[in-house]
Amino acid sequence: MSATLPFHRRPGTRLALRYLLALVLTVIFVFPVYWLFIISFKTPDEIFAFPPVWYPKSLQLANYHVLFKDGDAATVGNSLILASVSTFFAMILGTIAAYSLVRFRTGGENLAVWIISQRMMPPVAIVFPIFLVYVWLGWVDTYVGLIVLYTAFSLPYVIWMMRGYIEDIPLELEESALVDGCTRAQVLWKVVFPMARTGLFATAVFTFVFAWNDFLFALVLTRTEVTTYTVQVTHYFGGQSNFWAKIAAMSVLGTIPVFFTVAVMQRYLVRGISMGAVKG
Amino acid sequence: MQLAAHHPPDRNFKYWIIAPAVFLLLAVGLFPLIYSLVVSFMRIDMMDTDTSFAGLYNYKQLFKDARLWQSLLHTLIITAVALPLELILGLAMAYLFLERMPGRQIFVSLLVLPTIISPIVAGATWRLLLDNQYGPINQILGWFAGQRVNLLWTINPHLVYPAIIFCEIWQWTPFMFLILLAALSNVDKSQTEAAEIDGASFLRTFRYIVLPAIWPVMAIAILIRGLDLFRIFDIIWALTMGGPGTMTETISIYTYNQGFKQFETSYTAAIAFLVIAILTVVVTWAIRRMGLAK
Amino acid sequence: MSDLKITKLNKHYGAFHAVKGIDLEVPSGEFTVLVGPSGCGKSTLLRTIAGLEEASSGTVEIGGQDVTWARPRDRNIAMVFQNYALYPYLNVKDNIAFGLRSRKVAEAEVEKRVKRAAEMLGIAHLLARFPRELSGGQRQRVAIGRAIVRDAILYLFDEPLSNLDAQLRDDMRVEIKRLHQELGRTMIYVTHDQIEAMTLADRIVLLRDGLIEQQGAPLDLFERPKTRFVAGFLGSPKMNFIPATLTETGVALSDGTALELPGRRGLKAGQAVVLGLRPQYISMAGQALAPGHARVPVTIELVQPTGSRVQATMPLGGASIIAELAAHDVSRPGERTAIDIDMTRAVIIDPQSEQVI
Repeated sequence: MSATLPFHRRPGTRLALRYLLALVLTVIFVFPVYWLFIISFKTPDEIFAFPPVWYPKSLQLANYHVLFKDGDAATVGNSLILASVSTFFAMILGTIAAYSLVRFRTGGENLAVWIISQRMMPPVAIVFPIFLVYVWLGWVDTYVGLIVLYTAFSLPYVIWMMRGYIEDIPLELEESALVDGCTRAQVLWKVVFPMARTGLFATAVFTFVFAWNDFLFALVLTRTEVTTYTVQVTHYFGGQSNFWAKIAAMSVLGTIPVFFTVAVMQRYLVRGISMGAVKG
Repeated sequence: MQLAAHHPPDRNFKYWIIAPAVFLLLAVGLFPLIYSLVVSFMRIDMMDTDTSFAGLYNYKQLFKDARLWQSLLHTLIITAVALPLELILGLAMAYLFLERMPGRQIFVSLLVLPTIISPIVAGATWRLLLDNQYGPINQILGWFAGQRVNLLWTINPHLVYPAIIFCEIWQWTPFMFLILLAALSNVDKSQTEAAEIDGASFLRTFRYIVLPAIWPVMAIAILIRGLDLFRIFDIIWALTMGGPGTMTETISIYTYNQGFKQFETSYTAAIAFLVIAILTVVVTWAIRRMGLAK
Repeated sequence: MSDLKITKLNKHYGAFHAVKGIDLEVPSGEFTVLVGPSGCGKSTLLRTIAGLEEASSGTVEIGGQDVTWARPRDRNIAMVFQNYALYPYLNVKDNIAFGLRSRKVAEAEVEKRVKRAAEMLGIAHLLARFPRELSGGQRQRVAIGRAIVRDAILYLFDEPLSNLDAQLRDDMRVEIKRLHQELGRTMIYVTHDQIEAMTLADRIVLLRDGLIEQQGAPLDLFERPKTRFVAGFLGSPKMNFIPATLTETGVALSDGTALELPGRRGLKAGQAVVLGLRPQYISMAGQALAPGHARVPVTIELVQPTGSRVQATMPLGGASIIAELAAHDVSRPGERTAIDIDMTRAVIIDPQSEQVI
């Protein structure tokens, strides 16, 4: 029967076309990442070959070796410390604040709107006054300075997201815990946090990635001690010639932790994205 | 016996748990705002010690500052081109992967890669890809052109915007894709089936049934991306630093340059205020226009 | 002429074989009900007719044209969905008009037809409302209106009443029956509810495990089921099944009760069978024994009044049977009495093949 069907509408043809398109798109979107990755393993000869070398002869690690020998790789460690610690604080402070907003309607709708409106604050508009204050406090180029800043900047997002998840927790669970003799604080710790687990994970990933990706704050507020990897990458840019191998190797080092986090947390993420968007 | 509801720690509990967040937001959000406001009415720069009151001087300067308005224009151009492209491309991709197909999850995971890497790294990656001599893009273009291509993507005035927009679209289309895929999957299937039986074309079904259903999610995605594009900094820093000259200087790059290269403290504060004012107006308008206000 | 003709239709979902080579023909103007337990393939069959599912093999002809590979919009069908599938962002009028406008019907004609359909369904006063402002029954009417406003060859209903409460369901059933009588269109209706099937259908198609178990007029299936499954599926309360053994002239139950089977010849005496008795064909013993009836002494264990009738439970031949009796006839539980069974309506089933003998 299918012979009477026009070619382009046969089910098999359609699936094949979809695969072809999917494949082309994937190649286009993945190729830049592949290129970055592959440069980090190339020898200088291979990097500066013409025509370009599409895949290296061997996966030599000299480019990474240099980064570790010179101590540049430590900037990834700095990023890791800053992003994890600020994520931890933002999740705790944001979640309990969101709980207060949801369960007690603290400050009414106005407070909630004000908090969420902080999400649109352009970093470049506040980084300058913050810089001046940090100079005065002696917080420039310190962990504490950036951690405070990242935590504060993530808060609106965390509160916004966690509000949605906390609304989904049945009130009866909390009430039964209260009747069973828990204090309010214990309810938070023993009921709210465990019940909002999925939301906590999803939100934490985005919060982590936000802090991890930051460039502007780190550019302005670090010098040598807590330089993040994003700033370090730009140190290899040159006007005419770039330090190709170092850019690539550093970028890969900085991408691996995020890649792992996302891979492990993947099942929470799509839900996290769509939930947050739907809850608005 | 005292009732639990009147127990002091319980009564203040809701304030105790929200206080740290509010305090931090005030310190990092409100304080700089007030500080900027005050400074913007003074005559401070890092070159001399004059800190006298300047009234509206800095704000008047804003209107004479051609470079400022150009940077705003640059920002708008990038946003106006990149945002619709990301949206349409993301939507098309979401439709492509909406129906089940074996291996879909693998495709989706790979496609999301660009979004999870840092914007500064995305910029750096494209800096390498677009290199006029050793970059693969010119090489691939050369295959089609049949001769060696030597395009100076990050220097040639005609090519810098395409370069920035390519990179931007490459990094953020997957983000749109992921959100729209989730939204499309949530559309009630029997409604689109009913429309199909009613004889509605694809466009008509999209216009009257799918779009209204995904609009709340889509509007927020547009808002988020629009805000991010308005503040675009990292990708441009990595690709062109605002160059050649000031050709690709966006409002964020310009503000940074005024503050940290020219050290125009008061004037930078005035610019920051202008930016916040513009954003507030645009976002309020957008939220109302998109029907997002609940 | 038949409006729908299905030939050797198969539908696989991976390893699952949902529709197993079904042949079906539906004459013009007939109300056909596809009925069966969940998972029998009735909804899949309907969705394949609509073109929402692709057939794995076989053909579907609508109005004499092969539409096996046609898109739903090209099949000239209308459909009412189980969850109504109203477009939430369009008001009632636009919902009903959507299909007509999609087919570029002139606006004056659209107005006219929407008005007529709305009046027919008693929703003319709701045209400006949105679906979320309607009650369940009103939504159902809009969904039906959206179908009948169209000038389609086939009207498909996918369990349209299953989301309504009992009272509304009865009302809407009447409504749908009336619509069919007024419009005289060919309708195909899927349900798992045998009462809906019995009351609505010109013809019932009873499906089981992706195959047609039996098809025919409702009373035909009720009176002359071909298998134990059909016998048990149709009718409420359900048919009573009692293990029995064939004798020369009838059956013998395990407690020794012998029952004559009038008008039956050539029975294999000694064969183990199942005797099927409809509760409706059992009555309280009267003055005289009607011809073809058998009188049996019983003890009533339980009575459930349903108004004018009473469902009485009693043991018979090692099984527990239900009889539907007139309310004023029934005595108290525990009382010994006698019942008359209409043996001309009895069904004899071969327990191995489950076929009716």
